[in-house]
Amino acid sequence: MDIKARNKKLDEGAFLKEREEVLAMWPTGKEVDLEEAVAFHKKQPDHKNFGKVAARLHQEGKTVVFPRAGTPIIEQEIELNKTLYASGLPLVPVTSDSYCRLLRFDKARQGLEESIRSGQPKLNGFPTVVHGVKNTRKVVEATEAALNQRMTNLDKRLIAEIAFAAGMTAGLQDFMQDFACYEKSSTIGQNIRNCQYVYRLVGYYAERGVTLTIDLDGMMPHSVFPLSVSIAGVIANALVAAEQGVKSIIPWSFMMGYMPQDIAWSRLTRRLAREYLDRFGYKDTALPGQFIAQIPLFPYPQDMGWAFGFLNYSAMVAAMAEAEGVYLRTIDEGAGIPTKEAHAVSYRSAKWIFDVVRQQKIDISRLEEVQTEEKIAEMEVRALLDKIFEVGDGDVAVGLQKAFDSGLMDTPLSSNIHVQGKTLGARDLKGACRYLDFGSLPLPEEAKEYNREKIAEREKAQGKKLDYHTVVEEFWTFSKARLVEP
Amino acid sequence: MTKAPTIITGTVGEDSHSIGSRLLSRVLKDRGFNVVELGGLTPAEEFIHVAKETDASAILMSSLYGMAEIDLAGFKDACIEAGLQDVLLYLGGYLMVGRHDWGEAERRFKALGFDRVYPPEVDLDKVMEDLKSDLHQRGKLQ
Repeated sequence: MDIKARNKKLDEGAFLKEREEVLAMWPTGKEVDLEEAVAFHKKQPDHKNFGKVAARLHQEGKTVVFPRAGTPIIEQEIELNKTLYASGLPLVPVTSDSYCRLLRFDKARQGLEESIRSGQPKLNGFPTVVHGVKNTRKVVEATEAALNQRMTNLDKRLIAEIAFAAGMTAGLQDFMQDFACYEKSSTIGQNIRNCQYVYRLVGYYAERGVTLTIDLDGMMPHSVFPLSVSIAGVIANALVAAEQGVKSIIPWSFMMGYMPQDIAWSRLTRRLAREYLDRFGYKDTALPGQFIAQIPLFPYPQDMGWAFGFLNYSAMVAAMAEAEGVYLRTIDEGAGIPTKEAHAVSYRSAKWIFDVVRQQKIDISRLEEVQTEEKIAEMEVRALLDKIFEVGDGDVAVGLQKAFDSGLMDTPLSSNIHVQGKTLGARDLKGACRYLDFGSLPLPEEAKEYNREKIAEREKAQGKKLDYHTVVEEFWTFSKARLVEP
Repeated sequence: MTKAPTIITGTVGEDSHSIGSRLLSRVLKDRGFNVVELGGLTPAEEFIHVAKETDASAILMSSLYGMAEIDLAGFKDACIEAGLQDVLLYLGGYLMVGRHDWGEAERRFKALGFDRVYPPEVDLDKVMEDLKSDLHQRGKLQ
């Protein structure tokens, strides 16, 4: 196969030459001045640096909400960030609109103009590239929170250039998620290569004394599916980022509903990310925090009581997992874009739970169910990573390309035609996610047997075979306040 | 026996949200339709091109990122121009950015030429009933 990327630091000369092409993609690229940006970053207080805030939360044993937010008009974006900060959120995202993420800067400009004309947002985020460095800097300067540029898809090089030059101190930059959850026809190799540019840029800042943070969300499970493939991806991705000089990484894991698994996966991601970075010589790449994302519940409860129940349940699991950040939706999610009041009341409610639960310092890892899930997932993640290194002949980037090509890495319902999609997951009797079809995943026999037993247990108890129809049927189950259909 | 009608599915524009359209495609296949699945990130023109190539009876489109109005400006006219005036057009999802009244979204997209417009949480069985009834009326389903 055609290998598009290797895990080797990009040569500085070649990187700087590529920068010229990237900055020429849209007129605002001309506003990027690295030297000025480095000086600006150095003057910023610690509470506006994403990685430093996450590290402080870890030290203090605290959990905070890291929401989803971003709106096209500058003044409204500033107002939104102020609202979030005032609601007790020290970490705030700036989500790019989808047109900028897909290099349709022309459509983003049109959407921005229509937004300004009508005073109403017509884009689904903040068009960082169209606003450029100077205007985006206004948002950074008017916001007390530490900002994180959210960006997805194949080519985020220019968004990253502008966001970091404007003064944002973190960015989502995850080629696994881009490839498997956002892209349709690009290859994993192409996605790795473009992210390597952004990692190299972050490394360039680091060499000049400015630590920017990259966060790795991992492949979102598009249906009920154990998290081991996603966790292996996050760790592989962290190694590629560190090789380019990234010094601060925040890994994510996902909640899927069964509490012992959600807690085990979060703990495991944090522990193994550290172990693998150390093992491959990236000891000076810090992991300031571990973030966890709420299960993407659909449809979102319209009922206020249920909405609070879901919010607070998720907040509690995140606190018990000792995550520093958690992505939680507000109680207003079912109604559309949340109001200021909905943001405020939702986050106050979550904070009450975070603070009360974290103060008790319960060691939940002693729970037998958590230990079992952590053990099984660890076995699976290590086997997946071993195979990636094996087929890549020691090169994790090459290994990932070969692994997806042959289905050794695989996930169901991917947006991308290059993901084989031969695997499938289903819930067991207690609601835990199990592999229903392993596809070609190189999982150890012990883990496979465990998965098979759990599936068989449910099939026996319910007197029916689990198949694709169960998967489709159970898409909406958690919204009805249960994990498993009887 | 008549041939099963061909239905085109996909998510329009620069929108990656493809799970809903994947599930919908599965339900359509289970009901015996011939399904051409275009997936996420599909330009509006591609729906027209593929519908023409496959002699499709309906296009079932989704959009979940709120920017469908920009993506679908002039879509019905382009369909007519391509000789697809009889192809049913269904659209579903979060069709506008921000807080809005669902009725408003439905009115706007029906005015743009869509035969049926659905909110994101629609029951797929209901969509199947609508589709069968609309196809039947047009003599494309017995």
